[in-house]
Amino acid sequence: MASTKVVLPGDIIDTRREEDTTQQEPIVEDEATVIRLGPGLIQASEAVTAVTAGVLHSNSDTNRWWVAGNKRRYVAAVGEPVVGVVVARHGEGYRVDIGSAHDALLPLLAFEGATKRNKPNLAVGTVVYGRVVVANSVMDPEIECYNSNTGKSEGYGELSEGFMFKCSLGLARRLIDTKAPVLAALGSGVPFEVAVGVNGRVWVNAENVETTILVANAIRNSEYLDAKQCRQMVKELLEKQ
Amino acid sequence: MSRPDRREASQLRALNCSLGQLNRADGSAQFSAGNTSVVSGVYGPVEAKVYEEKLDRAVVEVKFRPDIGAPTTKDKWMESAVRSTFEREILTHLHPRTLVQIVIQLREGDGSVDSAAINVTSLALVDAGIPLKCMITAATCAVLSDDTTVVDPTQEEIDAARSTHTFAFASGSPTESNARGPLYVDSRGEFTMDEYNHCYDLCALAAERVLAFMRTAIEGKVTKEAKISAA
Repeated sequence: MASTKVVLPGDIIDTRREEDTTQQEPIVEDEATVIRLGPGLIQASEAVTAVTAGVLHSNSDTNRWWVAGNKRRYVAAVGEPVVGVVVARHGEGYRVDIGSAHDALLPLLAFEGATKRNKPNLAVGTVVYGRVVVANSVMDPEIECYNSNTGKSEGYGELSEGFMFKCSLGLARRLIDTKAPVLAALGSGVPFEVAVGVNGRVWVNAENVETTILVANAIRNSEYLDAKQCRQMVKELLEKQ
Repeated sequence: MSRPDRREASQLRALNCSLGQLNRADGSAQFSAGNTSVVSGVYGPVEAKVYEEKLDRAVVEVKFRPDIGAPTTKDKWMESAVRSTFEREILTHLHPRTLVQIVIQLREGDGSVDSAAINVTSLALVDAGIPLKCMITAATCAVLSDDTTVVDPTQEEIDAARSTHTFAFASGSPTESNARGPLYVDSRGEFTMDEYNHCYDLCALAAERVLAFMRTAIEGKVTKEAKISAA
């Protein structure tokens, strides 16, 4: 469903379903009528109100409502992959800058195969790819570089070499999609590695510095380009190389 | 009666705004009405310094930079005006122990600077995605020496005015935009209660027009971004 309704902070959202508005009898409060509010919406007294600007989305099956907008500042949420930079080492773990208001904690043992005797030694400035495991407004976020259920790294861990740059959170979310047009177009031209954090940080690595810069530039250029323009832009960049 | 720039008494100057022009800020906006032009950058929620952080909410800090020279007492007043207007409308409890920093840079001041500062802050906060209870828009009125009231006065008109009044209003009320009453009032000079009420009504109407203008601008930006992510 392609919704195009744009809401602004303070706008009151009519969350009644179409069939509800035609019904006259009072709505019974059961599982089917409970609505779930996602990002950008709050309940203020009896009404649902938008608190951020963006496109209003809803899923009529699950009765979920949320607002999709673009931001540049990350607010940590559980389960999201993030790229961060180690800023300090403590006795029990590392402090990692993931772009949110507070640095995230990365425990020393939150790596694949790490034990008390054998744990990774990361220097300050190291770029890591991790997953947020603790995120709430009153605690500092916590990340881990492995899946604690399977004990496998699943692609998370230290990102050596390569180049990290920042982008908007909206672009980062689009890049996470394996079908992201800019990554697909680049991949058919040059081999490279990429790690996308939804905190608006992208790490890329290729066989030489020139290609790494080319890939980074192409991704940054794609912010306001659609699929067709992306392919054209990548083609031009590759030809210039 | 005719105004130096041939506007109607209740006519605003030409409005112009753009969002997200500063690429280092988390959110930014530019707003101008005629020659009065302001830019704002919003940073946040970022880590607050230990001595200023609040355990249960975010701290809102406003910095106002004049077009020429260092900030004066007048500019400090403007900072506290903008902060008190927005502090209660930002959902600060959602981001405890953080700081939301708002920097307003005056580019050119030709009257009605305080309302422009409030309007630009509103836009920049929306651009940064800071959760807000409502949009806030402001307008200024001046009562001239011949008892006529003009909206969005220029500096020339303010200098000759008996009194000037700035009101800020919240959007989002189901009935009308001013149902909640003003969020900010600043009246200077000598005036009667009738003049004040008249200015209140004119500013409420003008603020509604500013809100409609802002809505168009934000919708344009959001729709543009949504189209790309859908493609």
